[in-house]
Amino acid sequence: MWVNMGPQHPMTHGLWNLRVRIEGEIIKDVEPELGFLHRGIEKISEDRHYNEIITLMDRTCYVAGLAWEHLFILAAEQALHITPPERSEYIRVLASELQRIASHMMWYAAFVQDLGLMSPFLYGMRDRDLVLDLFQSFTGGRLTYEYMRVGGVRNDLPLGFTGQCRRVLDWLIDRFVEYDHLCLASTIFHERCDGLGVLPAPEAVAYGVTGPMLRSAGSHRDLRKDRPYSVYDRLQFDVATATSADVTGRYLVRMEEMRQSVRISRQCLDWLDDHPGPVLAAQLPRWLGAPYAPVGNESYLLKRNYPTGLGFSMIEEPHGEAGAYVVNDGGEHPYRVKFRSPVLINVWAAKRYLPGYRVADIPPIMGSVDVCVGECDR
Amino acid sequence: MQTNELAASLTSRFDSRILGVDGFPGLLGRVRFEPAIALDLFRTFRDDLGFSHLTMVGGIDWVDHREVFYALWSDADRVYVMLSANLPAEAPSIASAVPIWPSANAHERETWDLVGIRFEGHPDLRRIFMPEGYAYHPLLRSFKIFEPEDLEVKVRSE
Repeated sequence: MWVNMGPQHPMTHGLWNLRVRIEGEIIKDVEPELGFLHRGIEKISEDRHYNEIITLMDRTCYVAGLAWEHLFILAAEQALHITPPERSEYIRVLASELQRIASHMMWYAAFVQDLGLMSPFLYGMRDRDLVLDLFQSFTGGRLTYEYMRVGGVRNDLPLGFTGQCRRVLDWLIDRFVEYDHLCLASTIFHERCDGLGVLPAPEAVAYGVTGPMLRSAGSHRDLRKDRPYSVYDRLQFDVATATSADVTGRYLVRMEEMRQSVRISRQCLDWLDDHPGPVLAAQLPRWLGAPYAPVGNESYLLKRNYPTGLGFSMIEEPHGEAGAYVVNDGGEHPYRVKFRSPVLINVWAAKRYLPGYRVADIPPIMGSVDVCVGECDR
Repeated sequence: MQTNELAASLTSRFDSRILGVDGFPGLLGRVRFEPAIALDLFRTFRDDLGFSHLTMVGGIDWVDHREVFYALWSDADRVYVMLSANLPAEAPSIASAVPIWPSANAHERETWDLVGIRFEGHPDLRRIFMPEGYAYHPLLRSFKIFEPEDLEVKVRSE
Protein backbone atom coordinates (compact mmCIF):
# COMPACT_ATOMS: atom_id res chain seq x y z
CA MET A 1 0.00 0.00 0.00
CA TRP A 2 1.27 3.46 -0.90
CA VAL A 3 0.91 6.17 1.75
CA ASN A 4 1.51 9.87 1.16
CA MET A 5 3.51 11.65 3.86
CA GLY A 6 3.19 15.23 2.71
CA PRO A 7 3.05 17.77 1.24
CA GLN A 8 1.31 18.99 4.40
CA HIS A 9 2.79 16.65 6.97
CA PRO A 10 4.58 17.77 10.18
CA MET A 11 7.49 15.47 9.30
CA THR A 12 8.35 17.16 6.01
CA HIS A 13 9.42 20.62 7.33
CA GLY A 14 8.51 22.21 4.06
CA LEU A 15 6.57 21.41 0.95
CA TRP A 16 7.47 18.00 -0.35
CA ASN A 17 5.82 14.64 -0.44
CA LEU A 18 7.27 11.32 0.61
CA ARG A 19 5.37 8.44 -0.93
CA VAL A 20 5.90 5.31 1.13
CA ARG A 21 5.03 1.73 0.15
CA ILE A 22 4.32 -0.23 3.29
CA GLU A 23 3.53 -3.80 4.21
CA GLY A 24 2.02 -3.62 7.68
CA GLU A 25 4.33 -1.33 9.58
CA ILE A 26 7.43 -2.04 7.48
CA ILE A 27 8.62 0.38 4.77
CA LYS A 28 9.27 -1.46 1.50
CA ASP A 29 9.95 1.41 -0.89
CA VAL A 30 9.86 5.18 -0.91
CA GLU A 31 9.48 7.78 -3.63
CA PRO A 32 10.24 11.43 -2.80
CA GLU A 33 8.11 13.84 -4.82
CA LEU A 34 9.69 17.25 -5.17
CA GLY A 35 9.07 20.48 -7.00
CA PHE A 36 6.39 22.05 -4.86
CA LEU A 37 8.71 24.95 -4.14
CA HIS A 38 10.40 25.22 -7.55
CA ARG A 39 10.76 28.92 -8.28
CA GLY A 40 13.11 28.66 -11.25
CA ILE A 41 16.01 30.40 -9.56
CA GLU A 42 18.47 29.18 -12.22
CA LYS A 43 16.22 30.60 -14.94
CA ILE A 44 15.64 33.93 -13.22
CA SER A 45 19.42 34.25 -12.71
CA GLU A 46 19.91 34.39 -16.47
CA ASP A 47 18.03 37.69 -16.58
CA ARG A 48 19.84 39.42 -13.74
CA HIS A 49 23.10 41.19 -13.05
CA TYR A 50 25.53 39.24 -10.92
CA ASN A 51 24.91 41.29 -7.81
CA GLU A 52 21.17 40.97 -8.24
CA ILE A 53 21.41 37.17 -8.05
CA ILE A 54 22.60 37.47 -4.44
CA THR A 55 19.04 38.37 -3.50
CA LEU A 56 17.92 35.03 -4.94
CA MET A 57 20.59 33.14 -3.00
CA ASP A 58 19.02 34.15 0.31
CA ARG A 59 15.74 32.72 -0.91
CA THR A 60 17.36 29.55 -2.22
CA CYS A 61 18.03 28.31 1.28
CA TYR A 62 16.18 30.39 3.78
CA VAL A 63 17.95 28.97 6.82
CA ALA A 64 21.46 29.29 5.38
CA GLY A 65 21.30 32.38 3.17
CA LEU A 66 24.83 33.59 3.84
CA ALA A 67 26.33 30.20 2.97
CA TRP A 68 24.60 30.27 -0.42
CA GLU A 69 25.67 33.86 -1.03
CA HIS A 70 29.21 32.71 -0.31
CA LEU A 71 28.85 29.84 -2.79
CA PHE A 72 27.61 31.99 -5.64
CA ILE A 73 30.09 34.79 -5.01
CA LEU A 74 33.04 32.40 -5.24
CA ALA A 75 31.91 31.07 -8.62
CA ALA A 76 30.98 34.51 -9.95
CA GLU A 77 34.33 35.99 -8.99
CA GLN A 78 36.14 33.20 -10.79
CA ALA A 79 34.01 33.69 -13.89
CA LEU A 80 34.53 37.47 -13.83
CA HIS A 81 38.26 37.35 -12.91
CA ILE A 82 37.87 39.45 -9.75
CA THR A 83 39.94 39.09 -6.58
CA PRO A 84 38.31 40.24 -3.33
CA PRO A 85 40.29 41.93 -0.50
CA GLU A 86 41.60 39.64 2.23
CA ARG A 87 39.49 41.21 4.95
CA SER A 88 36.28 40.49 3.08
CA GLU A 89 37.27 36.81 2.84
CA TYR A 90 37.58 36.61 6.63
CA ILE A 91 34.23 38.33 7.04
CA ARG A 92 32.66 35.85 4.62
CA VAL A 93 34.07 32.88 6.54
CA LEU A 94 32.88 34.39 9.82
CA ALA A 95 29.41 34.93 8.35
CA SER A 96 29.30 31.39 6.93
CA GLU A 97 30.28 29.83 10.23
CA LEU A 98 27.76 31.88 12.22
CA GLN A 99 25.21 30.81 9.61
CA ARG A 100 26.17 27.18 10.17
CA ILE A 101 25.48 27.59 13.89
CA ALA A 102 22.12 29.24 13.19
CA SER A 103 21.17 26.58 10.66
CA HIS A 104 22.14 23.68 12.92
CA MET A 105 20.18 25.24 15.78
CA MET A 106 17.12 25.50 13.58
CA TRP A 107 17.63 21.83 12.72
CA TYR A 108 18.10 20.93 16.38
CA ALA A 109 14.92 22.72 17.41
CA ALA A 110 12.79 21.13 14.69
CA PHE A 111 14.31 17.66 14.86
CA VAL A 112 14.07 17.18 18.60
CA GLN A 113 10.52 18.46 18.61
CA ASP A 114 9.67 15.71 16.11
CA LEU A 115 10.83 13.21 18.71
CA GLY A 116 8.35 14.57 21.22
CA LEU A 117 10.76 16.59 23.34
CA MET A 118 9.35 20.09 23.58
CA SER A 119 11.86 22.03 25.73
CA PRO A 120 14.86 21.66 23.36
CA PHE A 121 12.78 23.34 20.66
CA LEU A 122 12.41 26.44 22.83
CA TYR A 123 16.08 26.38 23.82
CA GLY A 124 17.25 26.08 20.22
CA MET A 125 15.02 28.86 18.94
CA ARG A 126 15.97 31.15 21.82
CA ASP A 127 19.70 30.79 21.21
CA ARG A 128 19.38 31.01 17.44
CA ASP A 129 17.88 34.44 17.88
CA LEU A 130 21.14 35.64 19.42
CA VAL A 131 22.96 34.69 16.20
CA LEU A 132 20.26 36.38 14.13
CA ASP A 133 20.77 39.52 16.23
CA LEU A 134 24.42 39.44 15.20
CA PHE A 135 23.39 39.13 11.55
CA GLN A 136 21.04 42.04 11.94
CA SER A 137 23.82 44.20 13.35
CA PHE A 138 26.07 43.85 10.30
CA THR A 139 23.72 43.00 7.42
CA GLY A 140 20.48 44.63 8.50
CA GLY A 141 18.50 41.44 7.89
CA ARG A 142 17.59 38.50 10.07
CA LEU A 143 16.77 35.95 7.37
CA THR A 144 17.53 37.42 3.95
CA TYR A 145 20.75 39.37 4.10
CA GLU A 146 21.90 40.53 0.62
CA TYR A 147 25.26 41.09 2.24
CA MET A 148 28.00 39.68 0.04
CA ARG A 149 28.99 41.32 -3.23
CA VAL A 150 31.05 40.29 -6.22
CA GLY A 151 34.44 41.62 -5.13
CA GLY A 152 33.89 41.68 -1.39
CA VAL A 153 31.09 42.37 1.04
CA ARG A 154 28.66 45.29 1.18
CA ASN A 155 29.88 46.95 4.36
CA ASP A 156 32.40 46.42 7.12
CA LEU A 157 31.44 45.12 10.55
CA PRO A 158 29.97 47.78 12.84
CA LEU A 159 31.90 49.28 15.75
CA GLY A 160 32.00 46.95 18.74
CA PHE A 161 30.82 43.94 16.74
CA THR A 162 33.74 41.67 17.57
CA GLY A 163 33.25 42.13 21.32
CA GLN A 164 29.53 41.43 21.13
CA CYS A 165 30.11 38.43 18.87
CA ARG A 166 32.61 36.97 21.35
CA ARG A 167 30.10 37.35 24.16
CA VAL A 168 27.46 35.50 22.13
CA LEU A 169 29.91 32.71 21.24
CA ASP A 170 30.88 32.32 24.92
CA TRP A 171 27.19 32.02 25.78
CA LEU A 172 26.54 29.50 23.01
CA ILE A 173 29.41 27.17 23.80
CA ASP A 174 27.93 26.62 27.27
CA ARG A 175 24.46 26.04 25.83
CA PHE A 176 25.73 23.16 23.67
CA VAL A 177 26.46 21.27 26.90
CA GLU A 178 22.86 21.83 27.96
CA TYR A 179 21.60 20.60 24.61
CA ASP A 180 23.52 17.38 25.04
CA HIS A 181 22.14 16.96 28.56
CA LEU A 182 18.61 17.40 27.25
CA CYS A 183 18.98 14.83 24.48
CA LEU A 184 21.70 12.31 25.19
CA ALA A 185 20.49 11.78 28.76
CA SER A 186 16.94 11.15 27.54
CA THR A 187 15.76 7.58 27.14
CA ILE A 188 13.14 8.70 24.62
CA PHE A 189 15.85 10.23 22.44
CA HIS A 190 17.90 7.03 22.34
CA GLU A 191 14.93 4.75 21.80
CA ARG A 192 13.80 6.81 18.84
CA CYS A 193 17.23 7.44 17.26
CA ASP A 194 19.76 4.68 17.90
CA GLY A 195 20.37 2.37 14.96
CA LEU A 196 17.88 4.05 12.63
CA GLY A 197 18.48 5.15 9.05
CA VAL A 198 21.88 3.49 8.83
CA LEU A 199 23.81 4.46 5.68
CA PRO A 200 27.42 3.13 5.58
CA ALA A 201 30.08 5.34 4.02
CA PRO A 202 30.69 3.43 0.74
CA GLU A 203 26.99 3.47 -0.11
CA ALA A 204 26.68 7.10 0.95
CA VAL A 205 29.42 7.96 -1.56
CA ALA A 206 27.78 5.92 -4.32
CA TYR A 207 24.45 7.63 -3.70
CA GLY A 208 26.08 11.07 -3.58
CA VAL A 209 25.20 11.75 0.05
CA THR A 210 27.37 14.48 1.60
CA GLY A 211 27.68 16.63 4.66
CA PRO A 212 26.89 15.52 8.23
CA MET A 213 25.17 12.39 6.88
CA LEU A 214 28.40 11.20 5.27
CA ARG A 215 30.59 12.22 8.20
CA SER A 216 28.34 10.37 10.64
CA ALA A 217 29.48 7.18 8.87
CA GLY A 218 33.11 7.78 9.80
CA SER A 219 34.16 9.58 6.63
CA HIS A 220 36.47 12.57 7.13
CA ARG A 221 35.25 14.30 4.00
CA ASP A 222 34.90 18.02 4.54
CA LEU A 223 35.47 20.47 1.68
CA ARG A 224 36.79 23.07 4.11
CA LYS A 225 39.74 20.70 4.64
CA ASP A 226 39.87 18.79 1.35
CA ARG A 227 39.58 21.77 -0.99
CA PRO A 228 39.90 24.91 1.13
CA TYR A 229 38.12 27.96 -0.23
CA SER A 230 38.31 31.56 1.02
CA VAL A 231 40.70 31.44 3.99
CA TYR A 232 39.85 28.06 5.52
CA ASP A 233 43.40 26.83 4.88
CA ARG A 234 44.65 29.37 7.46
CA LEU A 235 42.21 28.37 10.22
CA GLN A 236 42.54 25.61 12.79
CA PHE A 237 39.60 23.26 13.23
CA ASP A 238 38.78 19.54 13.33
CA VAL A 239 36.39 17.61 11.12
CA ALA A 240 33.47 16.36 13.20
CA THR A 241 32.79 12.66 12.64
CA ALA A 242 30.88 9.80 14.21
CA THR A 243 30.97 6.08 13.54
CA SER A 244 27.43 4.82 14.03
CA ALA A 245 26.09 6.12 10.65
CA ASP A 246 22.63 6.44 12.19
CA VAL A 247 20.39 9.24 13.44
CA THR A 248 22.28 9.60 16.73
CA GLY A 249 25.55 9.84 14.80
CA ARG A 250 24.18 12.73 12.74
CA TYR A 251 23.11 14.48 15.93
CA LEU A 252 26.62 14.11 17.39
CA VAL A 253 28.26 15.37 14.17
CA ARG A 254 26.12 18.50 14.02
CA MET A 255 26.68 19.28 17.71
CA GLU A 256 30.44 18.96 17.25
CA GLU A 257 30.28 21.07 14.07
CA MET A 258 28.69 23.90 16.02
CA ARG A 259 31.56 23.77 18.53
CA GLN A 260 34.08 23.83 15.68
CA SER A 261 32.23 26.75 14.10
CA VAL A 262 32.61 28.68 17.34
CA ARG A 263 36.33 27.89 17.23
CA ILE A 264 36.66 29.11 13.62
CA SER A 265 34.61 32.24 14.34
CA ARG A 266 36.88 33.19 17.24
CA GLN A 267 39.97 32.92 15.02
CA CYS A 268 38.29 35.11 12.39
CA LEU A 269 37.38 37.70 15.03
CA ASP A 270 40.97 37.82 16.28
CA TRP A 271 42.25 38.37 12.76
CA LEU A 272 39.63 40.99 11.96
CA ASP A 273 40.52 42.96 15.12
CA ASP A 274 44.13 43.24 14.01
CA HIS A 275 43.70 43.85 10.28
CA PRO A 276 41.54 46.81 9.28
CA GLY A 277 41.25 47.46 5.57
CA PRO A 278 38.92 47.68 2.61
CA VAL A 279 36.14 45.11 2.25
CA LEU A 280 35.26 45.72 -1.41
CA ALA A 281 37.66 45.51 -4.34
CA ALA A 282 38.59 48.95 -5.66
CA GLN A 283 38.67 48.13 -9.37
CA LEU A 284 35.29 46.67 -10.26
CA PRO A 285 33.68 46.78 -13.70
CA ARG A 286 31.23 49.65 -13.68
CA TRP A 287 28.38 47.52 -15.00
CA LEU A 288 28.52 45.23 -11.96
CA GLY A 289 26.65 47.85 -10.02
CA ALA A 290 24.45 48.85 -12.94
CA PRO A 291 20.80 49.46 -12.26
CA TYR A 292 18.06 47.75 -14.25
CA ALA A 293 18.28 48.45 -17.96
CA PRO A 294 15.83 51.09 -19.08
CA VAL A 295 12.85 49.53 -20.83
CA GLY A 296 13.38 49.30 -24.57
CA ASN A 297 17.15 49.72 -24.45
CA GLU A 298 17.95 46.40 -26.08
CA SER A 299 21.53 47.27 -27.01
CA TYR A 300 22.33 47.65 -23.34
CA LEU A 301 21.09 44.16 -22.56
CA LEU A 302 22.78 42.53 -25.51
CA LYS A 303 26.23 43.93 -24.87
CA ARG A 304 28.63 41.04 -25.22
CA ASN A 305 32.14 42.47 -25.17
CA TYR A 306 33.38 41.83 -21.64
CA PRO A 307 35.94 39.10 -20.83
CA THR A 308 34.35 35.65 -20.81
CA GLY A 309 35.01 32.98 -18.22
CA LEU A 310 33.81 29.93 -16.34
CA GLY A 311 33.39 29.76 -12.59
CA PHE A 312 33.09 26.64 -10.46
CA SER A 313 32.83 26.58 -6.69
CA MET A 314 31.98 23.98 -4.09
CA ILE A 315 31.46 24.80 -0.42
CA GLU A 316 30.63 22.85 2.71
CA GLU A 317 27.20 24.24 3.36
CA PRO A 318 25.39 23.35 6.65
CA HIS A 319 23.39 20.62 4.84
CA GLY A 320 26.21 19.17 2.75
CA GLU A 321 28.24 20.05 -0.31
CA ALA A 322 26.73 22.79 -2.40
CA GLY A 323 28.10 23.70 -5.81
CA ALA A 324 27.76 26.44 -8.37
CA TYR A 325 28.78 26.58 -12.02
CA VAL A 326 28.62 30.01 -13.65
CA VAL A 327 29.03 30.47 -17.40
CA ASN A 328 29.98 34.05 -18.28
CA ASP A 329 29.71 34.67 -22.02
CA GLY A 330 30.79 38.28 -21.81
CA GLY A 331 27.41 39.77 -21.09
CA GLU A 332 26.17 41.63 -18.07
CA HIS A 333 24.09 38.64 -17.06
CA PRO A 334 25.46 35.13 -16.61
CA TYR A 335 24.59 32.88 -19.55
CA ARG A 336 23.87 29.94 -17.29
CA VAL A 337 24.01 29.34 -13.56
CA LYS A 338 23.80 25.79 -12.25
CA PHE A 339 23.54 24.94 -8.59
CA ARG A 340 24.11 21.63 -6.91
CA SER A 341 21.80 21.18 -3.97
CA PRO A 342 23.04 18.76 -1.29
CA VAL A 343 19.54 18.28 0.10
CA LEU A 344 18.12 17.09 -3.22
CA ILE A 345 20.60 14.21 -3.31
CA ASN A 346 20.37 13.44 0.42
CA VAL A 347 16.58 13.22 0.18
CA TRP A 348 16.68 11.20 -3.02
CA ALA A 349 18.93 8.64 -1.30
CA ALA A 350 16.01 7.89 1.06
CA LYS A 351 15.32 5.06 -1.39
CA ARG A 352 18.39 3.42 0.13
CA TYR A 353 18.27 4.28 3.84
CA LEU A 354 14.51 4.16 4.60
CA PRO A 355 13.33 0.68 3.50
CA GLY A 356 13.31 -1.89 6.28
CA TYR A 357 12.37 0.52 9.06
CA ARG A 358 8.92 1.23 10.45
CA VAL A 359 6.55 4.04 9.54
CA ALA A 360 6.99 5.63 12.98
CA ASP A 361 10.74 5.83 12.31
CA ILE A 362 10.32 8.17 9.34
CA PRO A 363 10.13 11.45 11.33
CA PRO A 364 13.43 10.89 13.18
CA ILE A 365 15.22 9.57 10.08
CA MET A 366 14.06 12.29 7.70
CA GLY A 367 14.53 14.84 10.47
CA SER A 368 18.16 13.82 10.75
CA VAL A 369 18.65 14.59 7.04
CA ASP A 370 17.95 18.29 7.72
CA VAL A 371 15.67 18.95 4.77
CA CYS A 372 15.50 22.48 3.41
CA VAL A 373 13.06 22.35 0.52
CA GLY A 374 14.00 25.81 -0.70
CA GLU A 375 17.43 24.72 -1.84
CA CYS A 376 16.23 21.28 -2.85
CA ASP A 377 13.74 22.62 -5.41
CA ARG A 378 15.42 25.98 -6.13
CA MET B 1 48.06 14.47 -11.49
CA GLN B 2 48.40 17.48 -13.77
CA THR B 3 46.19 18.63 -16.60
CA ASN B 4 48.69 17.60 -19.29
CA GLU B 5 49.13 14.14 -17.72
CA LEU B 6 45.37 13.69 -17.75
CA ALA B 7 45.25 14.80 -21.39
CA ALA B 8 48.03 12.36 -22.34
CA SER B 9 46.44 9.38 -20.60
CA LEU B 10 43.01 10.12 -22.08
CA THR B 11 44.18 10.66 -25.65
CA SER B 12 46.26 7.47 -25.53
CA ARG B 13 43.07 5.59 -24.75
CA PHE B 14 40.43 7.43 -26.76
CA ASP B 15 42.45 9.11 -29.55
CA SER B 16 40.59 11.86 -31.32
CA ARG B 17 37.33 11.15 -29.56
CA ILE B 18 38.70 13.34 -26.76
CA LEU B 19 38.23 16.76 -28.31
CA GLY B 20 40.47 18.57 -25.88
CA VAL B 21 41.46 19.04 -22.26
CA ASP B 22 41.29 22.72 -21.26
CA GLY B 23 42.82 24.23 -18.18
CA PHE B 24 40.34 25.35 -15.51
CA PRO B 25 41.71 27.27 -12.50
CA GLY B 26 41.08 25.32 -9.32
CA LEU B 27 40.12 22.16 -11.21
CA LEU B 28 42.12 19.42 -12.87
CA GLY B 29 40.72 20.48 -16.21
CA ARG B 30 37.73 20.52 -18.50
CA VAL B 31 37.56 17.45 -20.74
CA ARG B 32 35.58 17.82 -23.96
CA PHE B 33 34.58 14.46 -25.39
CA GLU B 34 32.48 12.84 -28.10
CA PRO B 35 29.13 11.72 -26.62
CA ALA B 36 29.57 8.27 -28.20
CA ILE B 37 32.33 7.31 -25.73
CA ALA B 38 30.43 8.55 -22.67
CA LEU B 39 30.09 5.23 -20.82
CA ASP B 40 33.67 4.11 -21.50
CA LEU B 41 34.97 7.49 -20.40
CA PHE B 42 32.93 7.44 -17.19
CA ARG B 43 34.19 3.94 -16.40
CA THR B 44 37.77 5.05 -17.00
CA PHE B 45 37.36 8.00 -14.67
CA ARG B 46 35.82 5.93 -11.89
CA ASP B 47 37.91 2.76 -12.05
CA ASP B 48 41.29 3.88 -13.38
CA LEU B 49 41.54 7.52 -12.33
CA GLY B 50 39.76 7.20 -8.97
CA PHE B 51 36.95 9.72 -9.42
CA SER B 52 34.50 8.05 -7.07
CA HIS B 53 32.13 11.00 -6.54
CA LEU B 54 29.76 12.33 -9.15
CA THR B 55 29.05 15.82 -7.90
CA MET B 56 27.06 17.61 -10.54
CA VAL B 57 25.30 16.99 -13.84
CA GLY B 58 23.78 19.80 -15.81
CA GLY B 59 23.02 21.12 -19.24
CA ILE B 60 23.39 24.36 -21.15
CA ASP B 61 21.27 25.42 -24.10
CA TRP B 62 23.57 27.16 -26.61
CA VAL B 63 20.63 27.47 -29.06
CA ASP B 64 22.49 25.85 -31.99
CA HIS B 65 23.52 22.90 -29.81
CA ARG B 66 23.28 21.75 -26.21
CA GLU B 67 26.05 21.01 -23.78
CA VAL B 68 25.95 18.45 -20.99
CA PHE B 69 28.53 18.70 -18.22
CA TYR B 70 29.62 16.52 -15.30
CA ALA B 71 31.72 17.44 -12.27
CA LEU B 72 33.65 14.59 -10.65
CA TRP B 73 35.73 14.46 -7.47
CA SER B 74 38.70 12.22 -6.75
CA ASP B 75 39.38 11.38 -3.10
CA ALA B 76 43.00 10.40 -3.84
CA ASP B 77 44.00 13.55 -5.75
CA ARG B 78 41.53 15.83 -3.91
CA VAL B 79 40.56 17.57 -7.10
CA TYR B 80 37.52 18.15 -9.28
CA VAL B 81 37.38 17.57 -13.00
CA MET B 82 34.75 18.79 -15.43
CA LEU B 83 33.55 16.70 -18.37
CA SER B 84 31.63 18.30 -21.17
CA ALA B 85 30.04 17.07 -24.40
CA ASN B 86 28.16 18.86 -27.13
CA LEU B 87 24.86 17.36 -28.26
CA PRO B 88 22.69 18.29 -31.23
CA ALA B 89 19.88 20.72 -30.53
CA GLU B 90 17.41 18.29 -32.15
CA ALA B 91 16.61 15.42 -29.75
CA PRO B 92 19.79 15.64 -27.62
CA SER B 93 20.66 12.41 -25.83
CA ILE B 94 23.63 10.75 -24.18
CA ALA B 95 24.23 7.51 -22.27
CA SER B 96 23.14 7.61 -18.63
CA ALA B 97 25.81 7.57 -15.93
CA VAL B 98 23.58 5.70 -13.47
CA PRO B 99 25.31 2.31 -14.01
CA ILE B 100 28.61 3.95 -13.02
CA TRP B 101 27.47 6.36 -10.28
CA PRO B 102 24.00 5.67 -8.81
CA SER B 103 23.88 9.28 -7.61
CA ALA B 104 23.48 10.38 -11.25
CA ASN B 105 19.84 9.36 -11.02
CA ALA B 106 18.45 12.56 -9.49
CA HIS B 107 20.91 14.81 -11.35
CA GLU B 108 19.92 13.38 -14.72
CA ARG B 109 16.23 13.59 -13.96
CA GLU B 110 16.74 17.25 -13.15
CA THR B 111 18.69 17.85 -16.37
CA TRP B 112 16.01 16.15 -18.44
CA ASP B 113 13.32 18.16 -16.70
CA LEU B 114 14.93 21.58 -17.05
CA VAL B 115 17.15 21.35 -20.15
CA GLY B 116 15.50 18.53 -22.10
CA ILE B 117 18.50 16.24 -22.52
CA ARG B 118 17.58 12.55 -22.65
CA PHE B 119 19.76 10.02 -20.83
CA GLU B 120 19.61 6.63 -22.55
CA GLY B 121 19.45 3.74 -20.13
CA HIS B 122 18.29 5.81 -17.17
CA PRO B 123 16.06 3.55 -15.03
CA ASP B 124 13.43 6.16 -14.21
CA LEU B 125 13.69 9.23 -16.45
CA ARG B 126 10.74 11.32 -15.31
CA ARG B 127 10.39 14.99 -14.52
CA ILE B 128 11.50 15.86 -11.01
CA PHE B 129 10.36 19.47 -10.42
CA MET B 130 7.83 20.20 -13.13
CA PRO B 131 4.54 18.30 -13.23
CA GLU B 132 4.36 15.23 -15.44
CA GLY B 133 2.96 16.22 -18.82
CA TYR B 134 4.38 19.74 -18.71
CA ALA B 135 5.04 20.92 -22.26
CA TYR B 136 8.29 22.87 -21.80
CA HIS B 137 11.85 22.49 -20.60
CA PRO B 138 12.14 25.80 -18.77
CA LEU B 139 15.89 26.33 -18.93
CA LEU B 140 15.88 26.44 -22.75
CA ARG B 141 16.56 29.88 -24.18
CA SER B 142 13.32 29.67 -26.16
CA PHE B 143 11.35 29.60 -22.90
CA LYS B 144 10.73 33.20 -21.89
CA ILE B 145 9.84 33.98 -18.31
CA PHE B 146 8.69 37.49 -19.02
CA GLU B 147 6.82 38.67 -22.07
CA PRO B 148 5.77 42.30 -21.63
CA GLU B 149 2.85 41.92 -24.05
CA ASP B 150 1.44 39.15 -21.87
CA LEU B 151 1.12 41.47 -18.94
CA GLU B 152 -2.38 42.58 -18.31
CA VAL B 153 -2.32 46.16 -17.10
CA LYS B 154 -5.27 46.94 -14.92
CA VAL B 155 -6.21 50.58 -14.54
CA ARG B 156 -8.51 51.43 -11.74
CA SER B 157 -11.30 53.75 -12.88
CA GLU B 158 -12.28 56.25 -10.30
